[in-house]
Amino acid sequence: MDIKMREVDEVAVLSLSGRLDLANGSTLKDQLKQLFANNKTSIHLNLADVEFINSSGLGALVSIMKEVRLIKGRLTLSNPASYVQEIFEITQLSHIFEIYSTEEEALSSFHTTPVKA
Amino acid sequence: MICREFEYPSTPDSVGAMLDELTAVLDGAEVDRSLTRRMLLAVSEAFTNAMVHGNQLQPQEPIKIRLAVNETDIVADILDTGKGGLDRIKNKKPATSESESGRGIDLIRHFSASAKFAESSNGGLKVTLTFLRANNNTLSYK
Repeated sequence: MDIKMREVDEVAVLSLSGRLDLANGSTLKDQLKQLFANNKTSIHLNLADVEFINSSGLGALVSIMKEVRLIKGRLTLSNPASYVQEIFEITQLSHIFEIYSTEEEALSSFHTTPVKA
Repeated sequence: MICREFEYPSTPDSVGAMLDELTAVLDGAEVDRSLTRRMLLAVSEAFTNAMVHGNQLQPQEPIKIRLAVNETDIVADILDTGKGGLDRIKNKKPATSESESGRGIDLIRHFSASAKFAESSNGGLKVTLTFLRANNNTLSYK
């Protein structure tokens, strides 16, 4: 899996591509830990180029979400392929993640829905 | 009919290698892309369970996959060498929304036409997954 990171305002935007499975989920979690260590609390994951996700990848996302909550930050997701969106819905994880159709919508939401103090 | 057998060490990197090899077989058999995705997901779940819970991530313990592709269906066997395979399935606790694991068996059952679990003579788990080519399993929201 390839992870490209950039910052938009105060939001760390990670664009993921490839497969999100057991091995790559650990890589993603490690990268996020570095961001948390650098006091980055607003995180956006763009899933547009994620071609495969399984329960290990979902588990990694749940783990990241819990870490974000602990540091009182915010995590958004965007652009899941229909196949990936279906898996979020089957597992009912679509109810606990903030999933936006586009990255722009997700990033706009950080201005209207501030991170909890 | 296409029959292939694969063997992998119980390491996380094996998931990607397995997906690549199965994709090549399914593409060669001109399996519909949507069905391929669903099948790879279900097989990856059984494979990860075999690696993590069956073989306890011990690289020297192999995971075998037997794949049979014909005109009407695809059957995949996933075998590990662990102990108490059936007990692991029976004792599975349902995942909550906050769980980081425990969703694999549900996804297997959702995306396969049939999922059978059996224990081999050495105690390892054999998971047999069947996928129907006729309707792609895409309408099988169970």
